[in-house]
Amino acid sequence: MSLFPFFHFLQSTEFATSIRESALVYPVIMMTHLASIALFGGMILMGDLRLLGLAMKDHPVVDVIGRLRIWKRIGFVIMVTCGFLLLAAKAELYYPNPFYWLKMTLLALVGVHALVFHRSVYGNLPAIDRAPQMPGTAKVAAALSLVLWIGLVCAGRWIAYYEPAKTAVQAAHR
Amino acid sequence: MLIEFQNPLNSSALAFPILECIHIVGFALSIGTIAIVDFRLLDFGMRHQTPAQLNKDMSLWTIVGLAIMVLSGMMLYSSDPDMYYLNWAFLLKMTFLVLAIVFNYTVHRGVVLSGASPGRTKLVACVSLALWMCVVFGGIFIGFLNPTLDINKV
Repeated sequence: MSLFPFFHFLQSTEFATSIRESALVYPVIMMTHLASIALFGGMILMGDLRLLGLAMKDHPVVDVIGRLRIWKRIGFVIMVTCGFLLLAAKAELYYPNPFYWLKMTLLALVGVHALVFHRSVYGNLPAIDRAPQMPGTAKVAAALSLVLWIGLVCAGRWIAYYEPAKTAVQAAHR
Repeated sequence: MLIEFQNPLNSSALAFPILECIHIVGFALSIGTIAIVDFRLLDFGMRHQTPAQLNKDMSLWTIVGLAIMVLSGMMLYSSDPDMYYLNWAFLLKMTFLVLAIVFNYTVHRGVVLSGASPGRTKLVACVSLALWMCVVFGGIFIGFLNPTLDINKV
């Protein structure tokens, strides 16, 4: 089953059309998408660097990761909402783009990452602070998180550089 | 005398997007660390630490992020300087960047290290966040103005 009809439907909605046809709304949504990466992506980076023992070593993990969590969640919701609006506006263009699907795969893996490490790391912060040294699992979780998030940014940027191969019909017209 | 110079960044199709990714990670690091301090000034986030303590631990990473962002930004700029020079979003972005950096290391730094009245503290945090957001906004608009640029009309 192809998902294309859904992408077509998404792009054809009145809402998506009005975003696409507005000279201002589309860039403003993109700015908000990027601004939330700047504000809250930086917090994710610092949380990972703290677990790796590279930054903020004077502060307990509970403070660095626990107390910034609500802000990262708010940022994540803004980021995903804006991303979805950008997708909706040009859904048919995104559908054949491999970097879009790579990005969605990485986003799904971020969810898997959160589930896998919830019990041992992210839901277990006080125990990590009590441990004599940083547990290996926490460092693995942080390193994977860095790879996933930097990969997400790169895949996102690469979406803009994908040029679909010309179909035989298009090529014949040249 | 005109010196013929081929920018190596323009001979690879990959150079520009790779630099853009580095640029984004750089500003996520610099603006993100500044935002953590600003959120603290607004009484959000890491309230167990004082703003001065947070700033002490963030400052190195802020500088690292700024260095990555500015260096990659200069390389992106070098790929097509005329286009950027004629793009008002770029000029606005540079203005806000200078304002944001100067503000960060003067007024912002003073409030973080020595404290101020609650009203002034919150105002400074909001101004700092707003300036950095303006830098990001300017950056996005460069790309949206670029196609309409007509060098013959300048």
